[in-house]
Amino acid sequence: MAIVKTEKLSKIYNPDTVPVHALRDVTISFEEGEFTSVVGPSGSGKTTLLNMIGGLDKPTSGSVEIDGTTITGMSDRELIDFRLKHIGFVFQHYNLIPVFTALENVSFIMLLQKREKSEMENRAKSLLEQVGLSDRMDARPKQLSGGQQQRVAVARALASEPRFILADEPTANLDSTSAMNLLDIMEKMNREQNVTFIFSTHDQRVIDRARRVVYMVDGKIDRDEVQK
Amino acid sequence: MLFLKLAWRNLWRNRKRTLITVSAITFAVVAAVFMQSINRGSHEVMIDNMVRFHTGYVQLQDYRYDAEPSLDNSFFFDDEIRDRVKKTYPETELVLPRIETFMLAGNEHTTRGALVLGILPEQEDAFSGLKNHLADGRFFDPAEQAAVVTKGLAERLQLSIGDQLLLIGQGRFGMSANGLFEITGILDHPLRDMNNQTVYIPLETAQFLLSADDHITALLVHPGGERHVRAAANAFNEEFSGDDLKAYTWPEMMPELLQLLEFDLVGAYFMSGILYIVIGFGFFGTILTMTLERTKEFGVLVSVGMSRVRLGMVLFLETLFISITGVISGVVAAWLILYWFYLNPIELSGEIAETVIEMGWEPVLPMSFAADQFYMQGLIVFVIAMFVFLFPLIKIMRLNILEAARS
Repeated sequence: MAIVKTEKLSKIYNPDTVPVHALRDVTISFEEGEFTSVVGPSGSGKTTLLNMIGGLDKPTSGSVEIDGTTITGMSDRELIDFRLKHIGFVFQHYNLIPVFTALENVSFIMLLQKREKSEMENRAKSLLEQVGLSDRMDARPKQLSGGQQQRVAVARALASEPRFILADEPTANLDSTSAMNLLDIMEKMNREQNVTFIFSTHDQRVIDRARRVVYMVDGKIDRDEVQK
Repeated sequence: MLFLKLAWRNLWRNRKRTLITVSAITFAVVAAVFMQSINRGSHEVMIDNMVRFHTGYVQLQDYRYDAEPSLDNSFFFDDEIRDRVKKTYPETELVLPRIETFMLAGNEHTTRGALVLGILPEQEDAFSGLKNHLADGRFFDPAEQAAVVTKGLAERLQLSIGDQLLLIGQGRFGMSANGLFEITGILDHPLRDMNNQTVYIPLETAQFLLSADDHITALLVHPGGERHVRAAANAFNEEFSGDDLKAYTWPEMMPELLQLLEFDLVGAYFMSGILYIVIGFGFFGTILTMTLERTKEFGVLVSVGMSRVRLGMVLFLETLFISITGVISGVVAAWLILYWFYLNPIELSGEIAETVIEMGWEPVLPMSFAADQFYMQGLIVFVIAMFVFLFPLIKIMRLNILEAARS
């Protein structure tokens, strides 16, 4: 079942001055439980596509549907609420709240969802255990390595129980071991819990692990391959 | 709770910046209170002198006296009225009957217009410390045919202790009023106008001179302090309305002076305005830096689902913590500094000191210690801080999350 569907999605930056076609009529869907990489050179439109799917940017034309809901026409407030409930984000630079501990960073998303305190704490602890950080729960981002911070970011993204996780270059700032470790964790979650991951990446290690690879060139989908 | 924690920890994230901002607000409050205190200090001295040596806090007068200040509009006063005053407003500390009129004061060769006040010297002294201002001689006994003349008038009439003072004028209901009085004292009156024209004589002697036995023109009441003034006046108005008496508060008795002081404060308000602008821009600079530094973070928080309103609330809490801490420490610091100056006043020197001494004041820079200036200035600085907070709030509301996350 498709949880993300785009229909003739186009994005033109600076339409009145020097138009830049970031996306050109992209129609694609992602199924539940996929582990997909969107790859392509800089300026190919992969980040723009992820931004559209994540409701962070609005298309010039076309539509994005998530779980049967078209998000394209939503207001800013509706989109924020929708993102909170349905989409998890992992950023290239981790972007954790520096003044919070790992546990608080994960709990925070659930606080925004107005969950019970005990539920928040239990789930945050469980997620941090799953990403292998049960002994670093009280550490602040500064006290964690890049790999550990990114694992907290994954736990945070999962905290809200989203329909899928969008990860923008999640391994770009990690050394090889940390990157492999992170990929192991995400892959395990995908296999065992059916968590859907959509990456944008240049990293061959991520591409190799993905079961589906979408190649983009000049704002269009060039190839869409399923790997073993 | 986590929002509160987030706001609180954000403050300590950049400790130096927070401390600088708090210090800036503290300094602003101290500067504003200090400036206000100096401006109001001299006014308070002026008002205090006027109240103590001239009008009193509350006066009971015949209701016609204000429009026509004549002896014909004096009123009967006895112990019963004194008792009723005290009973009506039990906090009353002192009751000072006075009879007041204008007469000609003269020596053998010349005359001058004079304000003649029939008083009870002991009570007046208890209220205003009048006797402390005696430059020479003594105050009279209650029924003595004697006078205390203010220094300016004595100099103009070239009179001194032991000389005879002639008073010529009109008593109650057109009766002639003439008398010779031995000068027992020369008084250096703190109010310049009064120093040039006032003659004090015993109340009983004045009543006899003015054919106004048992009558007075004003009953000054000291209701136990400034904060009692309005309540006391209201109580007296209710109690004495059937006796044709009306109670006036000191602001009602000297509106011109208050207007003059208000006018005098315009310049001070202008300077305060400039100070507030400087304070506002200083605070704005810090908030601007903080906002720009955290733009990316704001973008990420909104991206992951934090509403702009909630984010604004966190920033509001941060601003609130900083402002409240700054304002409270500012008020405390200002209080301590002013208290120090209260114990160790700045001494004036040179011509300014001479002028001030001539006016009967201490040659020190008077500073107000009024409570309202602390909370008012604190409040104003707090409002400025809250106003400046609108900038990051607007920034959040207009935040482009993609641009912010890339910044």
